Amino acid sequence: MRRALSLLAGLSLAATLAAAPAQAQQDPVAQRAVEGAKAYIKAKNLTNPKLTILLSSLYNNSFPDFTKKWEELTGVKFEIVPLGYTDIPAKVMQEAVSKTGVYDIFNDFPYTMPDAAGAKVILPMDDWVAKYKPDFSGIADGLKFQQYYDGKIMNLVNDGDHLLLTVRKDLLENGQAKAEYKQKFNKDLACPDTMQEWKRQAEFFKAKAGETKWGVKFEKDLYGALGYRSINFSYRHFPAYMKGLPFDKDMKPRITTPDGIQAIKDFAASVEDMPKDIQGWGTPQIYPFWASGQAYSAMSFPSIMGFGNSNPQSVIKGQQIACLIPGQTINGQLVRRSPQAAGTGYMVSAYSKHPELAYLFIQWFTSPSIGDEAVAHPKGFWDPFRQSNLTDKAILDRFGEQMVKTTIENSKYAASLLLIEGNYEYFNILDKNLADVMNKNITAEEAAKRIEAGWNKVTNDIGLAGQQRVWRKGVEQGIYLDKF
Amino acid sequence: MTHTTTGTHLASGKTRPLGAPARLAKWLASERVFRLIPFVLVEGLFIVTILIPFALTIWISMLKWRANRPFETAVFSGLDNYAGVLENEQFWFSVGRTFYFAGVAVALELLIGFFLAMMVTNCTRSKKLYTTIFLVPMMIVPIVVGYNFSMIYIDSGPLNQLLSPFLERFGIDPRIRWLSHPVAAQWAIIIADVWQWTSLTFLIFLSGFAALPRQLINAARVMGASPMQIFFRVQLPLLKPAIAIAVVIRSMEALKMFDPVVLLTFGGPGTSTQTVAYFLWEQVWQFNKFSFGAAASILLLFLFSFLIFAGIFTIIRQRNAIAGGR
Repeated sequence: MRRALSLLAGLSLAATLAAAPAQAQQDPVAQRAVEGAKAYIKAKNLTNPKLTILLSSLYNNSFPDFTKKWEELTGVKFEIVPLGYTDIPAKVMQEAVSKTGVYDIFNDFPYTMPDAAGAKVILPMDDWVAKYKPDFSGIADGLKFQQYYDGKIMNLVNDGDHLLLTVRKDLLENGQAKAEYKQKFNKDLACPDTMQEWKRQAEFFKAKAGETKWGVKFEKDLYGALGYRSINFSYRHFPAYMKGLPFDKDMKPRITTPDGIQAIKDFAASVEDMPKDIQGWGTPQIYPFWASGQAYSAMSFPSIMGFGNSNPQSVIKGQQIACLIPGQTINGQLVRRSPQAAGTGYMVSAYSKHPELAYLFIQWFTSPSIGDEAVAHPKGFWDPFRQSNLTDKAILDRFGEQMVKTTIENSKYAASLLLIEGNYEYFNILDKNLADVMNKNITAEEAAKRIEAGWNKVTNDIGLAGQQRVWRKGVEQGIYLDKF
Repeated sequence: MTHTTTGTHLASGKTRPLGAPARLAKWLASERVFRLIPFVLVEGLFIVTILIPFALTIWISMLKWRANRPFETAVFSGLDNYAGVLENEQFWFSVGRTFYFAGVAVALELLIGFFLAMMVTNCTRSKKLYTTIFLVPMMIVPIVVGYNFSMIYIDSGPLNQLLSPFLERFGIDPRIRWLSHPVAAQWAIIIADVWQWTSLTFLIFLSGFAALPRQLINAARVMGASPMQIFFRVQLPLLKPAIAIAVVIRSMEALKMFDPVVLLTFGGPGTSTQTVAYFLWEQVWQFNKFSFGAAASILLLFLFSFLIFAGIFTIIRQRNAIAGGR
């Protein structure tokens, strides 16, 4: 059976990739990139042209299928240098200092872009964009504008890693649970609209091992919620709790405002509904735990649903519902913000020997047709993000229609994390202080003061005027959805 | 042919001047120069691999530069970075935490390694098997050790499963948060380090025990010394150099503790497991603060050098004392 399934998966992948040239023919964006590459090679009289990409190792099993296709179409060979995503920013900065020119393309989170742009190790793509006309239609603003830094296009994205809330269908639709919830809170049990409602549901859906509730006997403890609360991850989730922007127009932190302090409190309180060790967990712990059926809900990258459905040991196959990110009530209005927690972008190295050729590959790869193929790739980690994903059968088959529809709807609320220089230091200061509050070492108020002081120090160290300029430009452009 | 040529030279009474390569070879072969070649090579390597990078580090530490700006934009800032490091409370916390980790971990490694070496030395059967088994942890790649321990430490993981019968008896929640509780996480790192590096102290002590002069021990036994007296009065004093070597080598390594921190906690929760090596890595490679990192590393170099030289001095003194005693 397993062999038959593997064969089927292999055949479907082969069929998908074999159909690529035909799709690319119909996709003028991909076609322009291919023609542009051929013309470039001819004009420069290149023999055996080659591009080298510094690639997040997550994509090592899927990306080569596309570079092979690119080589068939254009004759451009690819060398892939895989590296763990946590090490890529340092590698990019090493290249900024050493200027070796060994890489043509850098692949990483869009959050690597500000420092790389500041160090001038990546090139703006605006001239090529004007010349070869990529297509950004169908991409929600928060994701589309993540491609810009200081008003210039510095990377092209092909991934929707904005946070999604996934809940257990079997529990959400349990008749007894619905009745009890309605009676208790005078509200129908459904996907939570607000963070407060999510918290209420997380508290409601807790059970001890051996306990029988709502007609279900729980063999293991059931936790109300799962979320990323460890160093290097908390900052990715925190904006969902924060009402509005982290800084004002003059880059003064808003974290010490009542909104900021409340956000810290709510974020820290959420760990009460999560496994005790959650502050030490990353994806290798959270995904299997979710699949083991020991939690009611998980706020995570969208791929957690795929894991829950496809992992052989999962006990929640077909028992998940994707929900829109819960929001906050601001001036009586429900405002949802789904932080773009990771994502994948492609940047052109300033020291590439053939930057235009590198750009053309990026345009081809992120074009609607090839980009959709990447999202559908069974071994890939690209998540749905573009309207065209809604009608792509391979994507619908892989992720399930309900999830694709929800995540595309959710992308309307996708907002970038901080896209200014030194962002990893700002993030780190936030993370460390949130950890101290979650561990009850300090109060939310103290944490807010420390975060404010730390952020101001970074801003002044890098240069207030420059930071203000880039920050304002990003906000005005719509990168963060919220405005001043 | 050669003879003919030489004959021609002799006949003409002139010597053809040597070519440049031949002259160079002759010069290099001269006794005066030949003796200098190893010295020059060593000095050259020293200059290229140590002196120049060290000078560059000092220079960079006096610039105001973050790598998210081109190097050409760096400006001289004197000792500002040094002042910044000395005023940075995270730096001092990291230094303190590093000494704490190193102190506890090295002490445990010495005790356990010494005990194991003593047991294996006195073992009459399967000595080689035990030696091999106890040396295995040291040979495992640190990333594998880190990953394995991260799985062992999960709150529903095997360690807590093993501990739960004992903890529950005392009414303690058996789900210890090994990686997310500030204190437990520190111990999680110490335990992982001890597990891996006790092998090294074991190896040092094992060779120390093997090198003990049997005549002295036999003589003490003949003179009626008890096993405890033999151990404390004869064996232990003779093992002092081995102990000092183990202390210095392991302390030098433990003060650079980095792998288990990155692999298990990323310095968290908060900064509770942040060592000074992690602090430096974070400042330089996460935040691109190369100048600040350079200044911090120079300050640490002086601090650690002082301690390491003190350790080496202790070893030399122990060795001299034993040599004098003989």
